[in-house]
Amino acid sequence: MKKIKKWLLGVVATVASGVLLAGCGFPGLSGTSSDTIRIASQNTTEQQIMAYMIQDMIQHYSKLNTTIINNLGSGTVSFNALKNDQADISAIRYTGTDLTTILGEKVDRNNVKATDKKVADQFNKKYKMTYFPSYGFADTYAFMVTQKTADKYHLKTVSDLKKVSSKLTVGLDQMWLERKGDGYDAFQKLYGYQFGKTYPMQIGLVYDALESGKMDAILGYSTDGRIGSYDLKILKDDKNFFPTYNASAVASNKVLKQHPELKSILNRLNGKISLKTMQGLNYQVDNNLVEPEVVAKQFLEKHNYFEGSDK
Amino acid sequence: MAQMNLMQQLIYYYQQNGVYVLSQFTRHFLISIYGVLFAAIIGIPIGIFIAHHSRLSSTVIAIANVIQTIPSLAMLSIIMIGLGLGVNTVIVTVFLYALLPIIKNTYTGMLNVNSSILDSGKGMGMTRWQILRMVELPLSLSVIMAGLRNALVLAIGITAIGTFVGAGGLGDIIIRGTNATNGGAIILAGALPTALMAIISDTVLAWIERRADPTHK
Repeated sequence: MKKIKKWLLGVVATVASGVLLAGCGFPGLSGTSSDTIRIASQNTTEQQIMAYMIQDMIQHYSKLNTTIINNLGSGTVSFNALKNDQADISAIRYTGTDLTTILGEKVDRNNVKATDKKVADQFNKKYKMTYFPSYGFADTYAFMVTQKTADKYHLKTVSDLKKVSSKLTVGLDQMWLERKGDGYDAFQKLYGYQFGKTYPMQIGLVYDALESGKMDAILGYSTDGRIGSYDLKILKDDKNFFPTYNASAVASNKVLKQHPELKSILNRLNGKISLKTMQGLNYQVDNNLVEPEVVAKQFLEKHNYFEGSDK
Repeated sequence: MAQMNLMQQLIYYYQQNGVYVLSQFTRHFLISIYGVLFAAIIGIPIGIFIAHHSRLSSTVIAIANVIQTIPSLAMLSIIMIGLGLGVNTVIVTVFLYALLPIIKNTYTGMLNVNSSILDSGKGMGMTRWQILRMVELPLSLSVIMAGLRNALVLAIGITAIGTFVGAGGLGDIIIRGTNATNGGAIILAGALPTALMAIISDTVLAWIERRADPTHK
């Protein structure tokens, strides 16, 4: 009895003093000390894969501590985390999204290429954040139907949906319904129709809903691996409603100044991940029960951490 | 994947992601433990103090009770406003929830010490510190341990919600399961270790609690 009491007191005292002495964090728990690189990730599969990839890269090439702030609900939340200095790096930001939601600008449908440069410049000037060059893929919103539906109504483009739109139940990203610029309101204006019934859903679930016939059409992400495995038909955005959503890492200028080595580490991933690669990685996670962390590590090991491809 | 049943999927999942699950398990456990330890460091002295100053007891316990009534997700969000995203927010939340069982049990344990034993201690010429250290604490230790046990089980449950502020832990796996195709296996893969952790810590602390009770020697 006495032993246990002494033992307990001992444990409490050591841990307490350990914590107080360390001052800057809890031993064994990353993300509690002040010199940790915090990587913000949203709750989608590819965000998490890229977040772990960045973490692995940083750990491979430097001795910095890293932690991932996972499961953020939207691009705006992760942007604010960066802005308010609660995170240092955003795993993926999409130029098109940032153009319409963060910068609040209109999509220039005639000059899609200018978007990337404009967003990068504005982010640097307005928010002191550095937009890295794209990973090599764009994750674009895309309307999809099953091949069967496409054949039945002869659907090829988004405009083709117009004649059957009132009959359709459509599963979509909840965020998209409320977005300005490239959201549902603007969509109705440009294409001139609305859907019979819309179901805001968790984005990961729309593909199965379509495949199992619960939805007639969905608005999904072009990088999802299930498009290929379910053989879904992507309808062409014939009026160029959606801007390009090139995927890049974004870091605050502050952290890049403190740790200049981060720049070359992040640059190693430039253009390394094509749309096909990303679809494959996503598929591993979404369909094959492999965790994003494991997928990221396997991918980097396979490519030898992009050794010798810096600058 | 689809041709496997749930059990096979679960086993496959652990084969693929074993190391990852283990690291999240440790993280989850550490977050809970740190929160409870802080609560113990603060809560036990408070419990002792209010047992000796009974006028304060109702106020302090009322405050701890009020904290307990706030839903954990709301509490997490409130603290997030101050501390931002990340693991510190979850540790503070766990700390606040662990306070009540620890304070209350310390207080009850101290009150339950037979007053005639205290008197005989006084009669032997013991100082107040000696009575506390040699009489009151040993006699109430098992009740205090029961409080810690409650607190830790509670903490493990709260840490699972910590995933919403990006703290990581097994909650990450559960949330990912809700977003994935064939998510059932992933949800189980996260939920089972969480439950297991709670059961094991409860059993271990129950054992310590029994050993700490001087009447069960």
